[in-house]
Amino acid sequence: MVRLLAAATFLIGTTAAFAQTSGIPPEDFSNTRRLAGDAINVCFDITSLGRPFDEAVAKAIGDALFLKVNVIEGFGGFPLNGDGFMDELSLAMNNTCDMFMGVSVSANTPFSEAFSITRPYATIPFVLSVSDPDWQKLSDIPKDKRLGTAMASMGEMNYITWAQQQPKADRWVRLPYADYDKMATRVLDGTIAGMILWQPALARLKAERTDAEALRVIANDPLPEAYVRVGALVSSRNSFLRSQVDQAIDALVADGTIDGLLEQFGYEGHAGE
Amino acid sequence: MRINSLKTLLVASTAFAALSAPAVYAQSDTAAQTPASAMDNYTPVTEDMLVDPPAQDWLMFRGAYNNQGYSKLDLINKDNVGKLQLAWAWPMAEAGIQETAPLVHDGIMFLQTNNNIVEALDAKTGDLIWQYRHVLPEIPASWSYQANQARRQKASIALYDDKVILTTVDAKIVVLNAKDGKVAWEKQVLDYNVGYSYTVGPLVADGKIISAISGCSIAGTAGGCYIMAHDINTGDELWRFNTIDDPDNPKQQESWGDVPPENRWGGTPWTTGSYDPETKTTYWGVGMPGPYAELIRGSGDGSVLYTNSTVALDTETGKLKWYYQHLPRDNWDLDSPFERILVDQEVDGETHKMLVTVAGKNGIAFALDRDTGEYLWSLETVYQNVVTSIDDDGTVNINEDLVSQAVGEEFLICASVSGGKLWQAGAYSPLTNAYFVPLTEACNTVAPTQTEFTAGNAVGSVKFGPRVLPEGQTNAGLVEAIDVNPEQGESKWEYRSRPTPTSSVLATAGGLVFGGDAARDVKAWDQETGDVLWTQRLNAPIGGYPMTYEIDGEQYLVIPTGYSNSASSIASAFPEIPLPTGSGNSIFVFKLPKSDS
Repeated sequence: MVRLLAAATFLIGTTAAFAQTSGIPPEDFSNTRRLAGDAINVCFDITSLGRPFDEAVAKAIGDALFLKVNVIEGFGGFPLNGDGFMDELSLAMNNTCDMFMGVSVSANTPFSEAFSITRPYATIPFVLSVSDPDWQKLSDIPKDKRLGTAMASMGEMNYITWAQQQPKADRWVRLPYADYDKMATRVLDGTIAGMILWQPALARLKAERTDAEALRVIANDPLPEAYVRVGALVSSRNSFLRSQVDQAIDALVADGTIDGLLEQFGYEGHAGE
Repeated sequence: MRINSLKTLLVASTAFAALSAPAVYAQSDTAAQTPASAMDNYTPVTEDMLVDPPAQDWLMFRGAYNNQGYSKLDLINKDNVGKLQLAWAWPMAEAGIQETAPLVHDGIMFLQTNNNIVEALDAKTGDLIWQYRHVLPEIPASWSYQANQARRQKASIALYDDKVILTTVDAKIVVLNAKDGKVAWEKQVLDYNVGYSYTVGPLVADGKIISAISGCSIAGTAGGCYIMAHDINTGDELWRFNTIDDPDNPKQQESWGDVPPENRWGGTPWTTGSYDPETKTTYWGVGMPGPYAELIRGSGDGSVLYTNSTVALDTETGKLKWYYQHLPRDNWDLDSPFERILVDQEVDGETHKMLVTVAGKNGIAFALDRDTGEYLWSLETVYQNVVTSIDDDGTVNINEDLVSQAVGEEFLICASVSGGKLWQAGAYSPLTNAYFVPLTEACNTVAPTQTEFTAGNAVGSVKFGPRVLPEGQTNAGLVEAIDVNPEQGESKWEYRSRPTPTSSVLATAGGLVFGGDAARDVKAWDQETGDVLWTQRLNAPIGGYPMTYEIDGEQYLVIPTGYSNSASSIASAFPEIPLPTGSGNSIFVFKLPKSDS
């Protein structure tokens, strides 16, 4: 009980309060211990771009550990500023989820005492996609054209960081998009010349939209490469599970299972870090 | 995610749908029979009443169209406030964040709590008459934000005719029969599936339901954040004003630089507006732009109108009469949506019609001419470092040294993302010409960054540090009394305390100001001097919107208490004051002993 209250107090005390301040009443944190037996609750962000891939990885981890995976859908629909995100994530990791898949593992990954972060199970790049057949790399795009970037993404950060170091005349005007589908539409109708987005988003576009056939990936030059390391969160209530999951990820990376899943879903990148 | 919560909501929704709302619980069978007769005397709320509310009632969010949070009642006053006794108390229907604004008419209290639950209570006895639980649609798994907002449903409901009007987390206007709590009609205003959600209550004015939507920082709501008017009888939409895309104003478009409307977010008007019936003008405050940092949003040094502005709208057409921007080029989530108070003062035979507000989280008080939007004066309250100066013409100059030029560049910003000022409303007293404002001294670090919580998803573009006190400050709490006149605002008195104020404040004709703090203490201050004339410790941080009413010659004082994120987010500044681990969401109703009434 003391541990739970301490955790709850920490979370409430440190959760960033955004535009419309929120928070969690302490009694919303349950103090029960799940009797999981041979199963684990694995949660997913239903809006995640890599959702099917993440579930396949979760099932592979479950198989490796002889655990049944209970798939729990949820999460998503948050404002761009993350308002309410840490509240809901902390509640979920305290009350419901043993593991939460598809998390971006980076220096900026948010954390709380409700969960810890696993090793990354895949590293997947951002790509630059255009429809104009004359362009082979970013520097081929005239500077008076506009680019789109996936809002708040590693790819966007990569572009902004590069652009801030260039004279204004050498930058492209960049527009942030929160909806990759709309961003693709704007590439196809010529509003923007190209878009920097996570490669699984492009894979999904190509799978879902016939007009996305016109979209192709060109080289990022002169930008450095940007990528996301994808991992999972494990509930702090089960530190043993965390070490087991890390070992399972290592094994699945080593035996080629993850690489096989990347290929199956049409994702670029590679297994592990 | 609060998966358990969602399940609970679904189960609750199903159960109550089967029973057909309103529900009366087993434990309240007796109460449900006895006080129903209290409804016998309930009369319709007329337009005349809304324009000039009866002193014994509290008909809307802040008591009157002017949002002053002032009551003409003076039975409880400086001489007898120390004798207040508990009349009755009532627990909220569910846990959540305490931001309730109770209303009273003809001896009936209407109390909205979290998850859009409305209860009618006999305001004299505290007996339950009916309860309405909003039946939510089947909640999509991607609906976590609305679940979060439902736990924190803020502000007000509205009364009109024989109806109670509420706005809901699933972006509906719901109209209930005041007598029995049954749904008269409801209207789906905007699509909650793309992220729209009501977090503040409506204003009934000029025969219209005027409301403002939230959720304007969600991917699917790009380009549209609205103040809207709907027909009071049919729910038909009459007009809408978009706070981030005004095709009638080229200046507004230019202020976003290269960013077209479909790449704009924010501009949420998340405090219920005020209304001047003489000019048929409604005044609303507008929140921050999205994304927070201009480095991310791509708007360059543009002022990003109408974020952090006051907008004055014609209630007949929804057209903009004027705007004034309290904080241009916001980079730090220093929203400016808070209460806009309408003040009339006669000086040397001339009536001055002002709008007074501590508009934003940085705590700066402003006075404007409310017919023209002309800037009159401003006054700093808590320590802030984002505004360097305000010109005579009202142009606000920001501290450009605090604008991040690189991803990850971090600055200490005062006041903090939770204020300074927050939703807790100040009150204006025409008795003393003073504006009383609950504030917090706080700073936090702010840095634009990539966070991408789930891989590839567009959520999270600014990193905030924890709230801390400004250097040299040991008291988090400040209640500032500002002497208001058309020429200037001056500090009348300051009440500083270790704990932060956590409730709105109420001013009364008894010469008192009521409010409370994180230490669970409700206080009554002398409007003239700031002396504390009464203190009562309750069960939880004081919250919501204290209000007052009169029945049978007795004045009642309502104090909400409960879970307060405003308290917990700066609790490290007053570690000697423990916060309760339970929410304790309740209202406590005080009155004087019979002999003193």
